[in-house]
Amino acid sequence: MILPATQFAAESSSSGISSLGVNLKSFIFQLITFLIVLLILRRWVFPKLVATLEERRKTLEESLNQARLTEETLQKAESKAGEILQAARAQADAALAEAHTKAEEIIAKGESAASERGARIIAEAEERLGQERERLHHELRGELAELVASTTEKVLRQKLNEREDRKLIEQSLKELV
Amino acid sequence: MAVLSRRQLAAYAANELLANKRVGSVAKELAAVLVNSRRANQAELLAQDIAWELERRGTAANASVTAAHELSDQLRKQIAAFVKKSAKVDQVIIDEVIDKSVIGGVRIDTAAHSWDKTLSRKLTDIREVL
Repeated sequence: MILPATQFAAESSSSGISSLGVNLKSFIFQLITFLIVLLILRRWVFPKLVATLEERRKTLEESLNQARLTEETLQKAESKAGEILQAARAQADAALAEAHTKAEEIIAKGESAASERGARIIAEAEERLGQERERLHHELRGELAELVASTTEKVLRQKLNEREDRKLIEQSLKELV
Repeated sequence: MAVLSRRQLAAYAANELLANKRVGSVAKELAAVLVNSRRANQAELLAQDIAWELERRGTAANASVTAAHELSDQLRKQIAAFVKKSAKVDQVIIDEVIDKSVIGGVRIDTAAHSWDKTLSRKLTDIREVL
């Protein structure tokens, strides 16, 4: 088959194709070489290459699927996390509000108790003050009485002579009668 | 034998004295009774009871007069007259006691009565009132 082709090429080289500046022999040779290479490639290279590419495509597709799944999972997780976060925030708000309410109640109770205790302490202090004032008043009266009596006694002892004492006794007897 | 009370003994002694029995004789009898009834330590109390009995009967009063200075005769007479009238007795025996603590005035004590007109008493009253 090659020979008639080369012969045909030789015959035709001097005719139309040669006039175009193309070497027919070389062209045929290159064509044959190309076909051989093409056959070799189709037989041994292309299948492996295609298989490898297919395998890579599948891997890539799987990766993309996996990535999509991961993204979906992530979105779901984010959504769920958002819900959980919102619920937790609501719960925390409720707990905070309850804590505020309880704290206000405790403060109110504490203020009330403190107020009552303060009033009681003031009342007790006033009572003690009154008692102390009464005691001091009593002591002062006692000391004043003692002072008056002792001073009078000293003056009388100095001033009262026998003659005046007799007059005093006479006066006393008149009062008794 | 029933033991006579001190009041009964005093009444007996008063009766005997008013019957003009001798004081020494009556005193011996009473002493014998007290010793016999183991009450010799009550002689002082019995004497006071007799004085109280005599005063109650209007016979005599033993007046203890306490003053800061010695009393004049005039004052003694006035006191005796006062006690006679107040205690309603015929006779008054005055025992004079000088006690400077009374400061002034006079305190008269009999077996049944007491009158305190001393300055010390008045000062005590002032202390108690104030």
